[in-house]
Amino acid sequence: MSNTLLSIQGLTRRFGGLLAVSDVSATIAKGELVGLIGPNGAGKTTLFNLITGFTPPSDGTVTFDGQDVTGRKPWQIARMGMGRTFQNLRVFPNMTVFDNVSVGAVGAFGQSPWRALVNGGAHSRAVSERSWEALERVGLTAQAGDIAANLSYGKRKYLEIARALATSPRLLILDEPAAGLNDTETAELADFIRRLHAGGVTVLLVEHDMGLVMGSCSRVIVLASGRKIADGTPEAVQRDPAVLEAYLGVEDDAA
Amino acid sequence: MDVNVPDARLMPATLAPPAAFSGRGRRFAWTLLLLAVAFGAVPAAIVGTGSSYLAQIAITTMIFVILSASLNHVTGTAGLLSIGHAAFYGIGAYAAALLSTKLGLPFIVTLPAAGLIAALFGFLVALPTMRLVSIYFAVATLGIGEMIYVILLNWVDFTRGPMGIRGIPPIELFGWQADTLLSRYLAVAVIAVACVWVLHRLTHSYYGNALRALREDDQCADSMGINVERLKIESFVVATFFAGIAGALLAHTSAYIAPDNFRFMESILILAMVVVGGLGSLPGAVVGALFMIVLPEALRDIGDYRMIAVGATMFLSILLLPKGMLAEGTALGFVRRSFSRGWATIAGGTPVGWK
Repeated sequence: MSNTLLSIQGLTRRFGGLLAVSDVSATIAKGELVGLIGPNGAGKTTLFNLITGFTPPSDGTVTFDGQDVTGRKPWQIARMGMGRTFQNLRVFPNMTVFDNVSVGAVGAFGQSPWRALVNGGAHSRAVSERSWEALERVGLTAQAGDIAANLSYGKRKYLEIARALATSPRLLILDEPAAGLNDTETAELADFIRRLHAGGVTVLLVEHDMGLVMGSCSRVIVLASGRKIADGTPEAVQRDPAVLEAYLGVEDDAA
Repeated sequence: MDVNVPDARLMPATLAPPAAFSGRGRRFAWTLLLLAVAFGAVPAAIVGTGSSYLAQIAITTMIFVILSASLNHVTGTAGLLSIGHAAFYGIGAYAAALLSTKLGLPFIVTLPAAGLIAALFGFLVALPTMRLVSIYFAVATLGIGEMIYVILLNWVDFTRGPMGIRGIPPIELFGWQADTLLSRYLAVAVIAVACVWVLHRLTHSYYGNALRALREDDQCADSMGINVERLKIESFVVATFFAGIAGALLAHTSAYIAPDNFRFMESILILAMVVVGGLGSLPGAVVGALFMIVLPEALRDIGDYRMIAVGATMFLSILLLPKGMLAEGTALGFVRRSFSRGWATIAGGTPVGWK
């Protein structure tokens, strides 16, 4: 299907005897907002690393926008249009907010040293404008000149998203963006993600926070013990006995 | 101006009113001041005093400005701790010395050749070591540096070993010979300024931002689409190229070089310049080189105590100014205002980005 943006087939990763991700297949279509959830240790992060190229799969393939990207390096996959954020905030602490975001734009527009030396005007302008646009989208333009480490925790989250947006992602993967946020902040973030999605970005939301995923996503994929146990609308997934069991234990038996 | 007004209209400098003009004036002011010192005040002092001692210090300072600025490029900006920089300085010096004494090649050839040969060695060293991080990379460069020193010392047939190489011709360009104190200084100063200018263009740009991102978090830079390995190799090759250029200048201005000029202690001295000046700060690297060359000379009168005084000054400066005399953040703001151009000016006149 030409509408498919990301397709993973039989993705498996073993760490020694541990089967972290086992035979997971899924697709994401252009324009979707998909949630990936699962209890701690379900293999979410490993699956994330397999998709973004940080970990090579033991088996299976990752196809992005019609091209097999299995085994490609993270920067190659990023340049093809897969942007990501990190679960444990990884802004560049000693750089300004604007310079942080510009790194994403440099990734998108190329990093040749010659452009810094001669005839780099057009490149600089493109990087500058893209970075500014990304900052505008997350509302951080007033902090553009601040050192990233001095931003509040919540703002650093948005900075990470802006930096990923500056790479012009066709698929934006957010790794537990709500981690460490209070309820108000999570609600704001959910609103922001919905607006981002409405603006045309395909989003894969890897999340621990059920509320955020159930309230925002049109489709939810559930992972448990390295396997995909459910894939459907939030309503369907919430009623799925396998999901209830994975999240709540076999409570039904006791009742 | 209130920075916290949420809808304060912030606009790119290209759209901003001609307030930018005052910034431009300031930029030229600093450039002119520095050029006036390098090509006006210092030459005037050399001619006025006729002191070869003063000229020698000025030349040494310029050579170490190149070394410190180039080490800052790879260690301060890109975050790869190299403690073998003097070895590449040595390769450049020997390349220039051997090419001119054995093959009779002119300075116009030996200078770039010294840089390229040092950069080639830098490339060969970088290829296998780029996967190493932090202290492991540092130890690898230490090992390489010692290896190169031992080769320079013991390959007597080729390098004349501890006897060194004598009779290296002075700097000469199309028949013009730099054989006076003043002309030697001027030739070195022109080349040093050019080297610093190239490093300035490289670091104070979006390419430079990518280098800083490597230092901050290379895995993260990787997932932003930055080819991390390539960038690391590039930064090491650039640094070793300029170390080679500095070596050629040493060879052609001192007429004599020996392996002892390129020992581990020299690497540490260059590293100290970078750290005292401010890691990641190009203006800091220049100031650091100036400080570490001029201070021991200025303290010559107190004789044997001077190295104690220099050590104590280094110790205190790091204790009191852990980010160096010109910390990176301050230096970048200063460069954006005075030598380069920020792309946009935000509330409070803070320039952001690079033009």
